[in-house]
Amino acid sequence: MNNRYEQSDPEDAALAQRIAAARPGSDAEAEAELYRRLAPRVRFYGLKHLRDEQAARDLVQQVLMMTLERLRAGKVREPERLASFVFGMCRMVVLDLRRTYARRERLLETYAGDVSAADPASSPRLDHGRLMQCLDGLGERERTVLIMTFYDDRGSSDVARALALSEANVRVIRHRGLQRLRDCVTGGMAS
Amino acid sequence: MSRSRCGAPVEFPTLVGYWLDELDEARAGEVEEHLLGCDECTATAQSLADLSAGIRSLVDRGAVQAVVTDSFVKRIAKRGLRLREYTVPPGGSVNCTFAPDDDVLVTRLEAPLDGIGHVDLLVSDASGREQHRFRDVPFDAAAREIVLTSRSPDIRALPASTLLMRLIAVEGESERILGDYTFHHRPWEGR
Repeated sequence: MNNRYEQSDPEDAALAQRIAAARPGSDAEAEAELYRRLAPRVRFYGLKHLRDEQAARDLVQQVLMMTLERLRAGKVREPERLASFVFGMCRMVVLDLRRTYARRERLLETYAGDVSAADPASSPRLDHGRLMQCLDGLGERERTVLIMTFYDDRGSSDVARALALSEANVRVIRHRGLQRLRDCVTGGMAS
Repeated sequence: MSRSRCGAPVEFPTLVGYWLDELDEARAGEVEEHLLGCDECTATAQSLADLSAGIRSLVDRGAVQAVVTDSFVKRIAKRGLRLREYTVPPGGSVNCTFAPDDDVLVTRLEAPLDGIGHVDLLVSDASGREQHRFRDVPFDAAAREIVLTSRSPDIRALPASTLLMRLIAVEGESERILGDYTFHHRPWEGR
C-alpha cells in the first residue's frame, strides 16, 4: 500500500543500524538516543489507543525494550524502515495492554467505593488558567462544540446529533474554534 | 540531537480526525505509521491530546461556563461528578445555592424554541444591568431548553444576590423575548 504520508527518519535509521552493528548492548549511547526519540511517538500512539496515561507509559516501556532487543539481535530486517517495525510492535502490545487494563477496570469497578470517583488528572502540559481564558474568548458555538468534542473525544456525528447541526457544520465550527484556541494558548505559535 | 523536520506533514484536520476516530482504518494506519517516524507531527498531535486533557480537566473542576446539552450533562454525571441542577420555566424563579462538595452547576432554562434560528442569553444583576451576553448560543429546538454550566469558583464566591437571565430570539435586526428567569442565590449554609 502506498502511504501518502511515507516518512523515514534518516537519524532513526542511522541509530538503528549502529545498534544492530554493535556487539549486543554495547552501544548504550545509540540505544539511549533512539529511546529518547521514539518514546514520545509511542506514548502518543498509546494515548490514542488506550486513552490512559499510565497505559501509554507501559506501552512505551514494552515496545521500546522489545525494539532494542530485536535490534541488538539483528532481527529487524529493514532498519531504515524502523517506523513500520515499531508500528507493528505497538499494535501487538496494545492488544495485550487492552486485556490487562480491562481486567484492571473490572477490579476498579468491584472496589469502586475504595477509590476516588474522578480519575487522576494527567500531568498538566498546558497552563489550564490560560486555557480557560482562551476558551472564554471563543464564540459560544465554538466553545460548545470544542467542549462537547474533546471532553471525551467524540466525533462530529455525535456532536452534530446533540446540537441538531449538520456534521459538516460541526467540523467547520470545530476547525475554526481549534485554530483560535491553539493560537491563543500558544500565543500565535501554532499557526 | 534536535527534533527532525517533516518532509510531508500530516494536515492538522487529518490529525484531528485521527484523534477522534473519524478516519477509515487504512488512512488511520497511514497516519499512525507516519507519526511513529516523525517528531514534528507527533508534537502537533500531542498538542491536540493536551488540549483534550485540559478541557476534560477544566470541565471536571467545574471551571467552564458554557452552553451545553442534556446529553453532555449525562456524560459528565457518568464520570462521577456531583451536579447541582436547577430547571426554570419562562417567567419562573428559583432559590438556589451551591454546596462545597458540588462539582458543576447546571442551569436549565425552558423555552419554546421551535422555528427559532438564533438565540442570545442575557445575564443581568437584580437592577437589570447587563453582565454578560452569550450570543448565538447553540441549541436543539426539540429539547425545548437551553442548558448552561457555570464556573463553580465564581458561584461559590457569590454573596446572597439575585441574578436575572433572559432568552432572546434574534432574527436579523429584530429581537423577541422568549423568557425571563430569576435566581435567588444564597451561599451554602449547610443542610
